[in-house]
Amino acid sequence: MVPKIKIDHTKCIACFACEIACSLHHTGTINPKRSRIRVFVDGDLSYPVIAGPHTDEECKTKDIITIDGKEYDGCALCRASCPVKPIFKEPDTGIPLTCDFCGQCVNWCPTEALTIIKD
Amino acid sequence: MNGWAGRILRVNLTRGDHSIEDLDPNLARDFVGGRGLASKFLFDEIDPRIDSFSPENKLLIATGPLTGTGAPSGGRTMVVTKSPLTGAIACSNMGGYFGSELKFAGYDMIILEGKSPAPVYLSITDDEVEIKPAQHIWGKRTRETEEIIKAEIEDKWKARETQVIRIGPAGENLVKLASIIYSYGAAARSGVGAVMGSKNLKAIAVRGTKGITIADGDGFKRETKASWDKVKGAKVTQRNLLYGTWDLIFMAKRLGGLSTKNYQAGELEELRDFDGRDVRKELFVESRSCFGCPRGTFKVTRVTAPEFQGEGMGPEFESWAQLGAQCGISNLAAVTKASYLCDELGMDTISTGVTIACAMELYERGYLPEKDVGYQLNFGSTKAMVELVEKIGLRQGFGDTLAEGAYQLAEKYGHPELFMGVKKQEMPAWHPQARQDTGLAYATANCGACHTRGILNVMEVQRETAGQAAGVKWGQDYIAIIDATGLCWSLWINQPESLEEIVTMLVTATGVRYNRESLLLAGERLWNLERLFNLKAGFTTGDDTLPKRILENPCLKGAAEGQVVRLDEMLPEYYELRGWDKNGVPTTEKLKQLGLF
Repeated sequence: MVPKIKIDHTKCIACFACEIACSLHHTGTINPKRSRIRVFVDGDLSYPVIAGPHTDEECKTKDIITIDGKEYDGCALCRASCPVKPIFKEPDTGIPLTCDFCGQCVNWCPTEALTIIKD
Repeated sequence: MNGWAGRILRVNLTRGDHSIEDLDPNLARDFVGGRGLASKFLFDEIDPRIDSFSPENKLLIATGPLTGTGAPSGGRTMVVTKSPLTGAIACSNMGGYFGSELKFAGYDMIILEGKSPAPVYLSITDDEVEIKPAQHIWGKRTRETEEIIKAEIEDKWKARETQVIRIGPAGENLVKLASIIYSYGAAARSGVGAVMGSKNLKAIAVRGTKGITIADGDGFKRETKASWDKVKGAKVTQRNLLYGTWDLIFMAKRLGGLSTKNYQAGELEELRDFDGRDVRKELFVESRSCFGCPRGTFKVTRVTAPEFQGEGMGPEFESWAQLGAQCGISNLAAVTKASYLCDELGMDTISTGVTIACAMELYERGYLPEKDVGYQLNFGSTKAMVELVEKIGLRQGFGDTLAEGAYQLAEKYGHPELFMGVKKQEMPAWHPQARQDTGLAYATANCGACHTRGILNVMEVQRETAGQAAGVKWGQDYIAIIDATGLCWSLWINQPESLEEIVTMLVTATGVRYNRESLLLAGERLWNLERLFNLKAGFTTGDDTLPKRILENPCLKGAAEGQVVRLDEMLPEYYELRGWDKNGVPTTEKLKQLGLF
């Protein structure tokens, strides 16, 4: 029974505690570039994105995503670790990062923008 | 090193080169970081008597060992320099994400020296440091400046991760009220933005891919999480998420000390039924936090009223108060627009508001002719206030005079007693006549009158002078520690009993065996170092004072009615507790105790 993490971006205050907690837990250092969760911030929007599957190839289905009437780069909100993006990879080696649903980010999130759902 | 990045970036703007130095662990231990470390370097490296705009002045930007670590409110960075407004040491605090990113790039502090022959900006990516041309951005407002710099980064992902602090036209024009702008606000006070402008430095962009290492990972996680959970669960945090600093409006009014019309009163009739809930209703869009802070104090806002339409951050309490009640203005949309303008031009809202209020009083009393101002400038002149804010940033018309600050303004028009400040820095919105300790704190702050140097309590009127000196000294030393570690004053002043929490987080992060005593000593050390700087710069005990109005004319109603600040009952005891002589000079014995001799 793999826990799922629910994201409510409307509650996110861009504190980056999730990036701190994740990197500290997984790497022993505080380094957002090595975090398995990254908060995408653009104007009013602050949206946590959790690292997902790795893929060797750029996709051909890039989308624009619309949230609250504003358009955003689909790649920025995509979970994949892919050749086009530098995130969800180790900054020095490029080795892909994937979330293991340990729940540290959920523990630290101060506003319940991240919560655990168990089916 | 743990906690600290262990390196200092030194940039010489005259020559256009840079060097990277190791952070001396002994200096790190004794001065901790942030305001402490930067002040130590400034003290050692410049003559406090120089002109603040000369290339010999240095601009230091320093993080603390807890900056970027997740210690609650650990998103803070200090800008330290010699102030062009006061001539004293300036230490202006900023939040957001710049300091943490600087640490991820591998630096505790940047030291900016000299003056670039042409406008430039500094670009830092880990060990790669470049000085880039900024002629094409010179003159741009702060939002556009950030956009242009980010657009110059080819990789848009890297651009997203890059943090940019910058000055606006005000800093470029050497406006003495000029600030340095970051994502959510400003390193605002004491004209630090003008020093940056005097160096022809438009902005600093930083991105880092390194990590902060922690000495005792498990211990640090445990202690920080406990502290974090405490803050998360506190009722005041829930209010903070909703109202941020707008909650202080209600407190200032309850105190009867919301400074109004150049400190002539403590309340504005039109704001009788107004508080933070009204601000939220009219402006609120979203809450935001500094890096690693659970509180979400910042507010993204929007003004829809057509005459003052716009969007931006805040206004924070002081901005709202100083551009509002201080100027006799109650129109929230106008005050917010003025605050947005200050952010776009890069100006301190406190000094700007009080300077305009000073002009208003001079005008109403007939000392400032209308032909000089170009406006009718009675208190409450809303449109004139908003337009003058812009003129100050651009040094246009009467704005050119106001750009020198309220002290110069009052002197110029022959009434220095109408300058409401200390050491040439305009006072905060909390009226000092409401509390005796506030008065003492304003009078003795090393950077000039300041709301973040020693005030611990705004809950009720304080009429007693007995015992205030000890409380103010303690508050000043405690805040000095907070400023040195990279934490935020606004969280930790609410819980002074939590010094132990700071000690534990610091010890587990750095591995240095601080305790309560050694940390308080470090705070005291910093305070005395700043004092020494100011004494060398020419300050004397005569500068530890307050405006005549505050000392002699009771201005407040309600619980503080009839009260003036009885500074003479507190100052001698304050000097004594500080270990200073009758002239406020630290004794040899005290300096030896602090290792400053």
